[in-house]
Amino acid sequence: MTNSMNNVEFVKNLVQAEITPLGVETVDRYQVAFVVAPGDVHHLLLKLRNAGWIQLSYLSAVDWLEENKFEVVYIVFNWDLPVYIQVRAKIDRDHPVIDSVLPIYPGAKYYERECHEFFGVCFPGNPDYEKQLILEGWDDIPPLRKDFDPQAYSDRKFPQRVYTADFSVTDEQNTKLTKRQLRKQRAASLRGGVQK
Amino acid sequence: MTRLSKVEVDRKWWEIGDFFRRNSLWLLMYCTGCCAIELPPAMTSAYDMERLGMGPMATPRQADILLVSGYLSLKTLRRLIYSYEQMSEPKYVVALGSCPINGGIYHDSHAVINQLDQYIPVDVYVAGCMPNTESVMNGFVDLMEQIRNKTAVGWKKYHERFEWYKANQINSLGEIDVHDEFHE
Repeated sequence: MTNSMNNVEFVKNLVQAEITPLGVETVDRYQVAFVVAPGDVHHLLLKLRNAGWIQLSYLSAVDWLEENKFEVVYIVFNWDLPVYIQVRAKIDRDHPVIDSVLPIYPGAKYYERECHEFFGVCFPGNPDYEKQLILEGWDDIPPLRKDFDPQAYSDRKFPQRVYTADFSVTDEQNTKLTKRQLRKQRAASLRGGVQK
Repeated sequence: MTRLSKVEVDRKWWEIGDFFRRNSLWLLMYCTGCCAIELPPAMTSAYDMERLGMGPMATPRQADILLVSGYLSLKTLRRLIYSYEQMSEPKYVVALGSCPINGGIYHDSHAVINQLDQYIPVDVYVAGCMPNTESVMNGFVDLMEQIRNKTAVGWKKYHERFEWYKANQINSLGEIDVHDEFHE
């Protein structure tokens, strides 16, 4: 298959033979996204892995605050066929639980820990998903949720430098500038009298 | 001929030490952020740091300057405090970029601190986002000048106000000890 649009069609047929996606979006010639029900994710990912999409390129979440949903996004890649496949599933925001894909993609271990740390999504089946990975000793709601206010957290936690209203970085006495001008004059006078 | 008192003799020795020290500064480059990209031109033939007697050093215990280039997240700050306390005295801190001064473009980040001099004393700030290499070199020359004028006393301040610095560190970090799964 040399034509890349055919590749996308091939992937769509492959997926639609397995499950009925809730939505399909062709992002570009090399990427196609499927919106599926949370229950279909593992079935679909297993089929895709067996069909050659052996690499989990990324796993993360999107916070849809108005809908009260988290959208978990899996991106898988095939080294023989240049098409990325996104698998998206919306899960409840109040109880964000989706089973781990660790048995299908062992590389998901750290992605799931990161996702749990930044969004609070739980991945039962991954023995380490609750261990801290990047943030150390985090003491607030997960920071990439939309209702987290980073400015307020920063103000509360880290001292701010306070500037006066008429703050200026220039030196008020301008000592350096005058010294430099004097040096220049002196240098010029030594060179042979362009003195002013 | 009058004998010099012990204080005066000590001061003379410090002046001699400072002369050699400021002409042979070894940097511990803690390249945390994007300002680190200014160091390759400063080190190599374009600006040639060696002509000021400066060079990179591999370990904190042998270095004179702790060079913080760029933003510091909480996780990095923990390691930075470790490195700073390991350095032998006298030690100086040079901070590049606007992030250690006031947070820079990360002023509202949940992970990046806003003011480095609340946690460890800073001798020279080089402002800019990012500072060009001339200003970085100028910062080093300023530090040498400060050592000569005996105003680069950040490490003494760290002794005097140790409680204050520790309180700030604990206030922002919660705990200074590093706990990570790769070392336990």
